[in-house]
Amino acid sequence: MRIDKHPVLEEFEKGEVVEFTFDGKNMFGYEGEPIVAALQASGVKVHRHTTKTGEPRGVFCAIGRCTDCVMVVNGKPNVRTCVTPLEKGMQIETQYGIGTKE
Amino acid sequence: MMKRYDLIVIGAGPAGLSAAIQAAKNGVKVAVFDENKSPGGQLFKQIHKFFGSKEHKAKVRGFRIGQELLKEAEQTGVMVHLNAIVMGLYNNKEIMVNENDQTNHYKADSIIIATGARENMIPFEGWTLPGVMGAGAAQTMMNLHGVKPGSKVLMVGSGNVGLVVSYQLLQAGVEVVAIIDAAPRVGGYGVHASKVTRTGVPLYLSHTIVKAEGTETVSGAVIAQVNSSFQKIEGTEKHLDVDTICIAVGLSPMSKLLKMAGCKMEEAAGDIPGVDENNQTSLEGVFIAGDVAKIEEASSAMITGRISGISAGRYLGYIDDEVAGNDISKLKNSLAQLHKGMFSPENKGRIDIEETDEGYKTSESLLKKGYIDDNEILSFPGVPKKKVVGIHPVIECVQNIPCNPCQDACKNGCIKVGEIITKLPAVDPDMNCIGCGLCVALCPGQAIFLVDDDYSDDYATVTLPYEFLPYPKAGTKGIALSREGKRVCEAEVLYCRTNTAMDHTALLTIKVPKEMSMKARFFTAKEAL
Repeated sequence: MRIDKHPVLEEFEKGEVVEFTFDGKNMFGYEGEPIVAALQASGVKVHRHTTKTGEPRGVFCAIGRCTDCVMVVNGKPNVRTCVTPLEKGMQIETQYGIGTKE
Repeated sequence: MMKRYDLIVIGAGPAGLSAAIQAAKNGVKVAVFDENKSPGGQLFKQIHKFFGSKEHKAKVRGFRIGQELLKEAEQTGVMVHLNAIVMGLYNNKEIMVNENDQTNHYKADSIIIATGARENMIPFEGWTLPGVMGAGAAQTMMNLHGVKPGSKVLMVGSGNVGLVVSYQLLQAGVEVVAIIDAAPRVGGYGVHASKVTRTGVPLYLSHTIVKAEGTETVSGAVIAQVNSSFQKIEGTEKHLDVDTICIAVGLSPMSKLLKMAGCKMEEAAGDIPGVDENNQTSLEGVFIAGDVAKIEEASSAMITGRISGISAGRYLGYIDDEVAGNDISKLKNSLAQLHKGMFSPENKGRIDIEETDEGYKTSESLLKKGYIDDNEILSFPGVPKKKVVGIHPVIECVQNIPCNPCQDACKNGCIKVGEIITKLPAVDPDMNCIGCGLCVALCPGQAIFLVDDDYSDDYATVTLPYEFLPYPKAGTKGIALSREGKRVCEAEVLYCRTNTAMDHTALLTIKVPKEMSMKARFFTAKEAL
C-alpha cells in the first residue's frame, strides 16, 4: 500500500525501518511516521471495536480530531494512532471498548 | 508563572501563519499555538497548483507555498508552540494549553483564532466501517504519509475537494471507481472535473450513497439515484466494487474556542462567528483568520490572515491607523479578485447562470456531465474557430474562475486574460505560438492543450498536461481518450517533456489521426477501457 514513487512529491522522507508488534505479530514500519501509516501499509484497517456493540472502527479523519482510530499502545488505551509517531518496539493492540481483549 | 505575549495566534495553518508573520513584521511579539507536531495546517497535503494570479501565488503547488510560509515565519521571528492543544479561551485573552500532558496558561493583549475547519460527514448504513473516511483523511494518508488509503475508491461529493482528491488518488496509483453527488450538477470547478473525467472516471450526479457493505471493513458500496427533492428513487440501486469510500461533502468552521469565550455567532446556534470589516469578533481584540470564519481556499485564508495580523497590530498600537488602513485595503482588493466569477461567494449555490461574464453561453455539459461536449467546445474564446497553421494552444477554460497564469506563461502574447482575472482566456487567432508548452504546464486547471494539425498528411499532434507515473516513453502505442474519458482512437507517444519550471507537470505529445485532434485529450497505454 506504500506509494513507491509519486509524480509530484517524488519520494517520501521516512525514518529508519523499525520493528513493532500488532496484536503480538511482528511488523515493520518507518520510525516517526504515524502508527496508522505503518498499519495501513501492512493491510491493517480495523483499529478497535466499540464498547457496546463491538463494531469495528478504523481511520476516519487522519488528523487527530475524531478519535475513531484509537488503539492500545504500549499498554495505554485511547492512543490516537493517526497522530502518534511509530517507535521501535512499540506494542500496538486492537482496542476493545476502552481496553484490550480479556 | 503565566507567560505573556503581545499576540497569540491559535492555529499554524496558512491563515494563522500569515497572520503571525504580518504582525511580527510590525514588531509585535507573537506566539502561535498548534496541536500538531509540525506547522502548516492542511497546506502540506495540497499538492496541486493553486489558482489566482501572481500575487496569490498562482501556479505554485500548495505544499511549496507552505514551505515559503514556514521560512517567512522563521525569518520574522514568529515563535510556534507545537504539540500544544489549546483547550480553553477565556474572555480576558487567556488561553489554557495542554502541552506534554501538562496544563499551561498563556495570556496576550490580542488573540487571533485561526483554527480552520473540519470535514462534514453524512451518515448512511455502514458509514462507521473501517474504509469509510473523509476525503481529507485519504489526502493526508497519501500525500503526507505516502500510503494509499485503499485500492478502489468511491468518492462522495463533486465539490473541489472531492474532485481534487480524486485526481490525487489517481496520481497515487489508486483506482477511483466513481464520483457521486446528490446535486444534479458538478459542485467544483469544471477544470477540476474535466481532468478526472478524461481519465475515464465516471461521474454520477443526482446519486447518493445508500450503504457501505462489509462486516469488518468496506467490501463494496451501493449508490442510488435521487429525485429533485434528494429522495432515493427505488429500484435505481447500483453496486460498486470498492474497498474505500471517501466523503467530501463540505467543511464546517471549528469555532468552539470562540463560543467558549462568549463570542457572538452569526446565528445563535451556528458555527460562524460574526466579525467586523477588520476581522474582529464581538470580543474586543479577538480576531479571526481563515476557514474558522468562512470556508474558502487556502489562498483566501492567507489573505484574511494578513488582514487580521495587521488589525491586531493596529489594535496593539504597533501599526499606525493610516498605514494599517492602506495595507488592509490593498489586501482586500487582492481578496476581491478571488471572490469574483461563477464560484464567488455571492454566486454560491446558484444554478441559473446561463452566460459567462463575457456573454458566452455556459457549458451545460460541463455542469451536468463533468466535461465540455464536442458541440460546445468551439464557442469559447480559448478555442480557435478557424484553421490555424502549425502548433497552437487550445484553452478549454470556460468558466469564470479567478486565475491567469496562462497569460503570463506565454512570452509571445498568444493568450490574453486581461486585468480582471476571472475573464476567460482568449487565444489570439493570428498568434505566433512556438510550441514551448509552458501554458500547458503552468495552467493550474490543466485545461490547455497544444494542437498541431499540420504534423503530417494524415496525423496531428496533441500535447497534454500529464502528472502520472511512469511517463510514457517515445514510441509507446496506446489509446487516446476523449474529454469524456472514452476511447477515441489509437495514439502513439512522440515525446514526454519536463523541466524545472513546469514543476512536475509533464508535456505528453501524442500522434493521432488528423480528425481526432480536437477530440483526443488523454492518453493511456492500457488497451482495455
